[in-house]
Amino acid sequence: MNQGSSTAPASASSSTYMLVPILLLFLLLIIAVLRSPNLISPAGIGSAVIVLTPLALATYALMALAIAGRGTVDLSIGPLMGFINVTLVVLSGMGALESPVSFFLYAIAVGVAYQLLMALIIVYVRVQPIIVALSGYLALSGINLVILPRPGGTAPEWMSSWGLGTTLDSPILVILVLSTAAWLVFTSTAFYGHLRLMGSDERAAYTSGVRITIVRLGAHCIAGVFAALAALTYTALIGSGDPTQGTTYTLIAVTALVLGGTSLAGGRGGVIGSLLGAVNLFLIGYVLATFSFGAVQGFVTDLAYGLILVLSLLLTVAIPWLQRRIPNISPTIIFIVLSTLFAGVILHAKFDYSRPAPPALVSDVAAPDVVAAPDVVPVPDAVAATGFFFEEVNASHDASSTLAQPIALSLLLAIALLIVARAMVLQTRQRRFSPRMVYILISLLVLAAYLAWDNSHMPPSLAVTPLAPPVSAAAAPAPAPVDAAMPVDAPAEFPADAASQPDATPPVKEGT
Amino acid sequence: MSNAPKTLYTRLSALQWVGLILAILIAGLGFILGIVQKVVLQELIFYTAATFALVIWTWNAYVAPHAKFGAEDSGDGPSGFALARAFVYHHRILIIALLVILGIFLIASATVTGFFNWLNIVTFLVLCALLVFTVQVSQLFVDNRSAFIGLMVLITMFTVGSIFIEGFSSGQNIKSMMLFAAFLGLACVGQTLVALLGGLDLSIPFVIGASNVFLLYLIGLGMYSWVAILIVLLLGALIGWLNGMLSYRLQGQALILTLGVGFAVSGLTQIVTSIGSAFAGNVFGVVPDWLKNLAAMNGTTFGLSIPPVILIWAVVAIVLIYGMRNTVYGRYLYAVGGNRTSAARLSISERRYWVIAYMVSGTVAALTGVLLLGWSGGGFIGVGQPYLFMTLAAVVMGGTSLLGGQGGYGFTVIGVLVLQVLTSFLVGMGLKFEWQQFIFGLLILPMVALYARSPHIRTQI
Repeated sequence: MNQGSSTAPASASSSTYMLVPILLLFLLLIIAVLRSPNLISPAGIGSAVIVLTPLALATYALMALAIAGRGTVDLSIGPLMGFINVTLVVLSGMGALESPVSFFLYAIAVGVAYQLLMALIIVYVRVQPIIVALSGYLALSGINLVILPRPGGTAPEWMSSWGLGTTLDSPILVILVLSTAAWLVFTSTAFYGHLRLMGSDERAAYTSGVRITIVRLGAHCIAGVFAALAALTYTALIGSGDPTQGTTYTLIAVTALVLGGTSLAGGRGGVIGSLLGAVNLFLIGYVLATFSFGAVQGFVTDLAYGLILVLSLLLTVAIPWLQRRIPNISPTIIFIVLSTLFAGVILHAKFDYSRPAPPALVSDVAAPDVVAAPDVVPVPDAVAATGFFFEEVNASHDASSTLAQPIALSLLLAIALLIVARAMVLQTRQRRFSPRMVYILISLLVLAAYLAWDNSHMPPSLAVTPLAPPVSAAAAPAPAPVDAAMPVDAPAEFPADAASQPDATPPVKEGT
Repeated sequence: MSNAPKTLYTRLSALQWVGLILAILIAGLGFILGIVQKVVLQELIFYTAATFALVIWTWNAYVAPHAKFGAEDSGDGPSGFALARAFVYHHRILIIALLVILGIFLIASATVTGFFNWLNIVTFLVLCALLVFTVQVSQLFVDNRSAFIGLMVLITMFTVGSIFIEGFSSGQNIKSMMLFAAFLGLACVGQTLVALLGGLDLSIPFVIGASNVFLLYLIGLGMYSWVAILIVLLLGALIGWLNGMLSYRLQGQALILTLGVGFAVSGLTQIVTSIGSAFAGNVFGVVPDWLKNLAAMNGTTFGLSIPPVILIWAVVAIVLIYGMRNTVYGRYLYAVGGNRTSAARLSISERRYWVIAYMVSGTVAALTGVLLLGWSGGGFIGVGQPYLFMTLAAVVMGGTSLLGGQGGYGFTVIGVLVLQVLTSFLVGMGLKFEWQQFIFGLLILPMVALYARSPHIRTQI
């Protein structure tokens, strides 16, 4: 591992391992959208988030521990979630925990207390972490069944609306976003550097003065908080208590962890990768559910989980090899290319080709064409396509609209690829996102939000969903200038960025 | 200097004395139990003598050669208080443990009415005696301490179980315990071999379930049962080979990779067996009688009323324990598990041993599935699920290190027996499955902490 990363170019850092989850994500997303376009809608995304969040948070907890090294795979994460879930439901059923604050405090206290106990045993009794986890798994899944012999009980009143998943703006999403952001903030602290150093080489960390006991305890505390949040969102998802889900959640969370590119050997892992892993796992189930296998549905899901897990693990073996052959691969760039592609697929899937064109709304977006696309004939199409205003395209080209779509899309792709090819060379030399990348990512997110809300291509329906008007109003013009302006000033700005970056490169975190 | 041989001699004889006392203790215990259960006196004397001889032989053949002696010899220190303090410090673990037991006993006597009866007092005394014995003698061991402690735990639990539970030491109960232990023990074969190389195999339960279902499917197709079994075993070996080849480059992630293979195998088997069937997931067929006899509780081996699966397990265990010590494959397996670099210097192919260990694991897991089909009489994909973490627990409890290079199948046998006797004891006490699991979980940690602690980071630099 260390040899590989030192000989490979700078971009062969830990983020390279996110290539596999990113590729898998878009593959699955494209299939999912083509099979069932309803996924990209407020209700679709909302319910996906509700189902996804417990898994993602459990994966975060596992990730925090896996980074800490010593082969820590917390097999007890599922039973721990079950324990918090069951005790929460029983206690609230007895009227002990009324307010949301006490609910949260209790869950986090239990999660942190359990993980701290585990860490103390690992540190002071010096038993292998996997044995401690196994022991905790057996003990907790036993005690869960004692507390609540069979699934039952109800979550408190105020939580009942959380698990509906009809809109995007659920508290669950807030929890997920806050957790992710909290970890991203945490990665810029010195403590995180110590954690990674300890995970990749504990002896080196010890000899260089890192207080490994404190660091390990800290990692377990963080994992405890994540596990508690996972249990809370899980409670919201099922709306009751279920003591039997321990094994399932353990196995799928470990699967998601590995799909996300985290190394079980320690030292490598990230929150984005873990999130992608969890999303991938959710999407596998979603995609398979769109095919009807009849009675063997569950078996096909098992088979697919297993195969994808094995294949993605094997791909991570191939990455260093690939890295030596094609040095200029940046996961961010791949992400952007694929999201552009995916946006095209969404448009294709959601666009109603047979619908007659709306009455002419002559677009003002089409007029200011800054785009440097001189060679292709249907220039207005291209500009409109960059703004993603297909109504306008239809308005100007009534008859040939069916033909225009593919052309517009391919043109858009060509432009995107041009930008990407330009940015790829520059991006690979630096380890942080340049501001340009952030702009592109933000515009993509806004675009995605716009597409998600634009439910049925009918302007009146936009007003139905509560958050729609401001976002769609902002989203409609926003992507156009950003995307369109890109090729013009990109050559001017990228070298400046590249020049300013070396000062801002973070300190080396690999512990070698 | 000159009296070194003399002290060695006295200590050796002391060790033999300890063995003698142990044998008398065990044989006497059996004798008393036999009298309590009104066994025919003639048989009782025979059994007691046999037990005595067996214990003495085991002790002299296996335990005594492995014992090494602590070097320090007291006698020059100051007398009085300092000596007492040194004594307390030297035996602190024993004293703490005795105080804990005494405390629990006193609290229970004070709070629970009817607790203070002769049964509990005898149990208490037996526990104390065994504890003192275990702690004292285990200090003599360096190599096989875990096996010794495991054996003592086994004896303790068996004794306590026989005192408390009616019919615990009856032939029928022992037979059923051995039957279940045989299944668990067979499932643990692969896990032990793989753990000796520092890997893990979580596909075992899935392979067990898949072979269980698939065998019945093949028999249902009208195949000869022995052909079907052969096919299933070969498929098990194939899955093991796949596991080994795939995880060789990803040894740190063997846990998750084998899990993935397990998922895939289990799903694939069910899809295959469901094709053309109106009842997906259910397989129908008639299990042949000889297979039933092989694993059923009332099965007979050459007229003896012992289920053959117990004998199969015994043969496998003996072959493995002997083979791991005395064959080239066994020695090299330890070499690879102990230190990859030095094994490579001896031109031992790491890949070969890794793959073969996984292949053995897959084959034996398939065999377990086949035998479980004979036991249950109907195919069920989830039949292996209890073995998911139980195999790991048994291997760890026996004292095989998950980091590789230390342990062996003999240790795992002890771990399996401890788990099985404990299960049987808890069932006899009327505890439900969830409590059993809870107690297992709590018990693994102290067991491992007794003998498998990793060294402090300070000592590794």
